[in-house]
Amino acid sequence: MGVWDLKRFLFLGIVVLLAVYSLAVGAENDFQTLDQETQELKSAVLELNRDLSMLEEELLYPANTQVAVFVSMDVGEYFALDSVEITLDGKNVSNYLYTEREVNALHRGGVHKIFIGNLKVGEHELVAIFTGIGPHDRDYRRGASLTFSKNIGAKYVELMISDREQNLQPEFIVREWE
Amino acid sequence: MPTIFFMRSLVKVVPAAILMVVLCGPATAGQKDGFKVNDPHYGEVLFNFYQQEYFTALTDLLVSRDFNRLIHHQAEAALLEGGLLLSWGQHEEADQIFERLLSNTDDQAVRDRTWFYLGKVRYQRGYVDAAEQAFLNIRQPLPLELDAERLNLLARVYIDQERYSAAAAVLSGWEGPEIWLNYARYNLGVALVRMGQLEAGAELLSQVGTIWAYDEEQLALRDRANLALGFAYLQAGLEGNAKPILQRVRLNGPFSNKALLGAGWADSANNDYHKALAPWQELNRRELLDSAVQESLLAVPYAFSQLDAEPQAAEYYARALNIFDAEIVRLDVAMDDMGNGQLITDLLDQDQSSAGGWYWQLASLPNDDRARYLYFAIADHNFHEGLKSYRDLMSLGEHLDVWQTKLSTYHDMLNTRKNAYSKRLPILNERIAEFDVVEMQASYEDLQQRTTAARNEHDVLALATASEQEQWRRISLLEDNITWSQQESAALREKQSILKGLLLWNMEREFNIRAWHQDKQIEKLGEEINKTVRNFTSIDTTVGGIPETVFEFDSRIAFLQLNLDQMKRKLQLAKERHATYLYGLVVGEMQAQRKRLVSYRAQARFALASIYDRLSMKGQ
Repeated sequence: MGVWDLKRFLFLGIVVLLAVYSLAVGAENDFQTLDQETQELKSAVLELNRDLSMLEEELLYPANTQVAVFVSMDVGEYFALDSVEITLDGKNVSNYLYTEREVNALHRGGVHKIFIGNLKVGEHELVAIFTGIGPHDRDYRRGASLTFSKNIGAKYVELMISDREQNLQPEFIVREWE
Repeated sequence: MPTIFFMRSLVKVVPAAILMVVLCGPATAGQKDGFKVNDPHYGEVLFNFYQQEYFTALTDLLVSRDFNRLIHHQAEAALLEGGLLLSWGQHEEADQIFERLLSNTDDQAVRDRTWFYLGKVRYQRGYVDAAEQAFLNIRQPLPLELDAERLNLLARVYIDQERYSAAAAVLSGWEGPEIWLNYARYNLGVALVRMGQLEAGAELLSQVGTIWAYDEEQLALRDRANLALGFAYLQAGLEGNAKPILQRVRLNGPFSNKALLGAGWADSANNDYHKALAPWQELNRRELLDSAVQESLLAVPYAFSQLDAEPQAAEYYARALNIFDAEIVRLDVAMDDMGNGQLITDLLDQDQSSAGGWYWQLASLPNDDRARYLYFAIADHNFHEGLKSYRDLMSLGEHLDVWQTKLSTYHDMLNTRKNAYSKRLPILNERIAEFDVVEMQASYEDLQQRTTAARNEHDVLALATASEQEQWRRISLLEDNITWSQQESAALREKQSILKGLLLWNMEREFNIRAWHQDKQIEKLGEEINKTVRNFTSIDTTVGGIPETVFEFDSRIAFLQLNLDQMKRKLQLAKERHATYLYGLVVGEMQAQRKRLVSYRAQARFALASIYDRLSMKGQ
């Protein structure tokens, strides 16, 4: 064994590399075909999911009676949100415990639909209780309420957590979404 | 392929970066991502997007757009849709949306940046030609960092297309930020070596191979450059140059096995087998599935035989044979255990992550012998991408299962509603039928006419109270008495006349007030009648429309159910195709491994036999 053997080693290495390369090229083509099929299928499922969601909403929460409550956050430096509890006309309709990921999404400008339901035309009262950690790392629990009039058509209510810069306290606002 | 390595760390931010670029312009640290949300449902889409719930966010966006709830965010919603599709792995659809939108955008800077990110995404997905097209669509220079990355990516595209001179033309003479300069030098060096310009390529690779590296990415780049140059020298027969270059590669890095093997080759080419033994024996102790390690099992006894240490050579060849034999058996058992679909299920059973799309990465491998072989397969880009697609399909299938249950519930709900209506509707219809709107209107008009006539004719009696009218009737009745005209009734007539006059005076006095009140009451009554008629019409229409609504939902549910069943079948087929593809990749890798092991085993046997022959010749 001498230089010839060494060359054989090298040659073998190159052959193996070439074989792996040609396998990789074949696999690449297969993957692209599969990827395209997957994309088409995912697109069709998305469309179906949209149709199903629309059906569900129209069936369960018709536009005439629908009421939805949203939670949003504007800055929110003085309050770390844990949960929100909603009472509608004296009846508890939602108790939502927020994850860190959700709170982060709220901080970035996302809006969370915390409740969707149906209400009759007329006057209604909504009470929201916010729980979390307030200034100086203390447990914090505050309520806010709104009396609103429900007419024909959907009604959207916003629960906004904001900062009151003047006294370095959080502020909780319940209002009809305009 | 430094770019792929580098892109792995960057690809996570691409879709979000596109949105930032297109929607918000340059972002600064600590800035709230969005802008003022004017439609709550748009905020809801963002809420899911920020949590990487792309499918939910996309569905919400499409639903809200169809319900016309994104009035204030129409333009942003279209761009967000593109970004979400990209995040969800739908790059072709996203491409179309961006191309359509960008063709309507005048801001060249925004368009160029978007093309850049699209090109980057396409390259990551393996669509090299499409990536080139995207990069070529960029018209104006990008900001420094992005432009540097664009040039390097374009060069990588050309290298992948084996257009080395085009790659060299892109990077030659280019100056930019230091970090990108190193990538550019590496890519240009590789292109030049492949064009046969070893000297020029070596100069550049050597520069990269001696950089001061401060993080893993830079260390890996440095190792790659040294490995590429070392092997280029070996292939050119310049073994003396190769060794010091290969020795620069870190001993614990991902490229160390190949570098150790190459370093041994360089020494053995110079007939310095003592030195060659050191790196090869180090390799002997490493994970056998690496081809460099396998080769070192033959290289060590080969070196001993060259040093005339035949007994040691025989011992090491025999050891190699045992190792190869054992590994081939182990490999065969593992291949039998792989089981087409089961393998994929096992892999995903380990997965606890909930995030879909691009960000997903397999957290761990099955805790058995297959893991050794899967480790190599999973490192393959195609395998990982295929597995991610499989996982997406699986998650969609689970999602459709939920809908299946829901649809069945809604179907039952509608049936319950239909039953309830069928009981209540006849009663309601009867009440509606009893309500005679025409008669009510006629009575009202008659009352209105009589009041008008009383006012016009100044008929005070018509507007008198019921008691006054009764008094008037009784007083007037006296005049019909047969004795009324007689003399003895004179006092009575006078009294009746006074009373009648008094009553008439009272009614006269109240007439205008009563007429005003009567008008008001008639007006109010008219409003009440109109309201009642409206309510009844509405009830009538609603009741009449109930069967129509129920049937409309019924037919929608039936249609969606059909669609759902079809989609589930398609998903199942696609999953099977994915499983077969992934299984093929793993088995292909294992078979290549086996082929290599069998070939090495044959060489070991042959070499061992030769040694025994030589030893027996010596003995004779």
